[in-house]
Amino acid sequence: MRPGRRELLGGAAAVVGAAGLSWLASCDGRRGRGHEISLWFSYGGDNRRVLLELVADFNRTQDEVRIVPTFQGDYFEGLAKIRTSVFAGGTPTVSHVVGEVVPYLCAAGVLEPLDEIGGETLGDLVPALSQAGTFERGAERPLVALPFNRSTPIAFYDKTLFAKLGLRPPRTWDELREVAIRATRRAGSGGSDRAVERWGFECPVDWWFWVALMGQAGGELVRPSDGRVTLGEQAGVRALELWKDMVHRDRSMKPPPGRDYDAWQATNIDFLAGRTAMIWTSTAFVRYLERNAAFEVGAAPLPALERRAVPTGGTMFVMPRPRGGTIPTRDKQAALSFLRWMMAPTQANAWATRTGYMPVSRAGLAQLEVEGYYRSHPNDRVAVEQLADARPWPWATELFRLQREVVQPRLEEVVLRDRDAGAAMDEARREASAE
Amino acid sequence: MRPARRWHPFALLLPTALVLGVFFVYPLGLCAYRSFYSWDLLTEPHFVGASNYRSLLASGELGAIALRTLGYSVIVVLASLTLGLALAVALNRPGRLVAFVRAAVFSAYVVSWVAVALLWLWILDADAGILSRTLGAIGLRGHNWLGSPDLALFSLAGVSVWKITGYAMVIFIAGLQDIPRSLYEAAALDGAGPWRRFWHVTWPMLRPTAAFVGTTSLILSFQAFDIVRVMTQGGPVRSTTVFVYAIYEQVFLNLRVGRASALTVCFFVLLCAFTGLQLWSWRLGSPRRRTPGGA
Repeated sequence: MRPGRRELLGGAAAVVGAAGLSWLASCDGRRGRGHEISLWFSYGGDNRRVLLELVADFNRTQDEVRIVPTFQGDYFEGLAKIRTSVFAGGTPTVSHVVGEVVPYLCAAGVLEPLDEIGGETLGDLVPALSQAGTFERGAERPLVALPFNRSTPIAFYDKTLFAKLGLRPPRTWDELREVAIRATRRAGSGGSDRAVERWGFECPVDWWFWVALMGQAGGELVRPSDGRVTLGEQAGVRALELWKDMVHRDRSMKPPPGRDYDAWQATNIDFLAGRTAMIWTSTAFVRYLERNAAFEVGAAPLPALERRAVPTGGTMFVMPRPRGGTIPTRDKQAALSFLRWMMAPTQANAWATRTGYMPVSRAGLAQLEVEGYYRSHPNDRVAVEQLADARPWPWATELFRLQREVVQPRLEEVVLRDRDAGAAMDEARREASAE
Repeated sequence: MRPARRWHPFALLLPTALVLGVFFVYPLGLCAYRSFYSWDLLTEPHFVGASNYRSLLASGELGAIALRTLGYSVIVVLASLTLGLALAVALNRPGRLVAFVRAAVFSAYVVSWVAVALLWLWILDADAGILSRTLGAIGLRGHNWLGSPDLALFSLAGVSVWKITGYAMVIFIAGLQDIPRSLYEAAALDGAGPWRRFWHVTWPMLRPTAAFVGTTSLILSFQAFDIVRVMTQGGPVRSTTVFVYAIYEQVFLNLRVGRASALTVCFFVLLCAFTGLQLWSWRLGSPRRRTPGGA
């Protein structure tokens, strides 16, 4: 029997009514549990899923605080939204920003001090990853940032291919050039101008990796004695010349297309597709690469020239506050309880082992060691051991401007346009001092 | 026609004027005001006079961005106009196959820019892209289409042409269908062949359509952003940093609201000038209308 118009309308009304009631019930459920605070985050993919699961765990395991996470695009987009919210007066209670902008935001007076986090949590943080170790004399600055997803640059290589070619991960710059040349495969026979079928090495032409190379060549971005921007002086030039030689002379390094994180993603994809034998990227990608590669992935520390050196990366938790405003005490206490929970050994380890970022808790790190985690995950061990070579960033308010406006465009000019590295860095220093 | 009350036309214009005022004139005025300040949205803005304009000019950034944007626009407008017109002339006829081809060409225009950019990222990949592999298969060498500072802007222009040609084609087809058949019949009786009919009947009658397509394509190409953001992020070596992306970069990545505002004002002035110039040039070449009582 065909239902009549009256039955159809009645059925539709019942469905809509039931859906409305269920929505109202879920709203009540959401609102009824704890004091709500917002968390703005900048992750996609697996990292986003892991973070959301951790937040759900936090919300489930206690009744006082309820975290409402919201995705805000990549790090740069997230920062732009934080700035806008600072101006408009609608800041999130908690967010996370890259380390390079922390001194700038702190100087602008828009970061809430976090000293109330407590000595127990602070004392347990891995020194190189906390504010104290991430920045020059970081412990003497107001505490405004706490470690969240921290990383360093690292080398990943196709272990199967390296074994077949009789190669081992390079430990010096000379070895890096040699290994990259030997791992490069060209079409047909003849000179080095033949089409490349597999690149020996790929690395984004990006400030973070340049800082690593510059540090390995013995340079400092800013002279600690007088705070003058030196960009590593000759070390900065040598870093660029290494890339130039590998791209133009050896033709063993592929500079990936795109900029910023798009270039990083292009590098990962080339590696997974077997188009590159070895890449430099973030330790954070260890899980992603291991899960998606059709070959065995090996990790190795970055090579040395004058010394071993890597910068730290990733982001730090901050509590932005509106311009000239304050954060309500209840919000701040709620945020601090969430941050303490996130940095506690269990959660810090859950985050680190499921993503590839560094564990930020010393007790957590020791626990992983005791449980034999690093025996079964040797690539993670490489990342943790490399922390011994981590160099602090200068506490300089102009750090992110140096990155975006002074250094980054010149890295591309030198490497992609084969411009003179010395002249480019002289120009960069002049521009930095004119700022 | 005379309005019943003198204020009626103004009342009818009011809603549009309000929308334009709130969402266009006011933001533009605010932007012009902010262009005289140095501001990062966090600290207090400082009045710097014309310093933002001076630094954009002195560093050569403004000229480079304008030239790059103009070069990109010239390629996109000329190529999409030419291809759109050619396709319209070829496909302005009945038949299922022709209708299918018309729909296929136009379909690119309705796909979002981001989807198009992602598709072409894959096609233009230097090593694994279809283009490089196809060239390799026939013995030619592929290029780093998006990674080379000399090629990247042309690659983006090519993708834009691929996307908007369907739009030009549809508008030209509408224009073609408006041309009276009697003109063609008269020209044919006078012994005009296909080329002469095109140059002396089709093209003069299509001039207003071409002016419309040219102007809208010019504005569209000047506003290129999505494709740059997804495919090259303004690189390599700023070779694809066109106006809108440069504004985005200054305000969202470099945290320079004043400089971004100055770029926006320059962009607005430039766009007005080019649109005016283009319309003037089209009118200059079109046949003058006879006025009643005129010679």
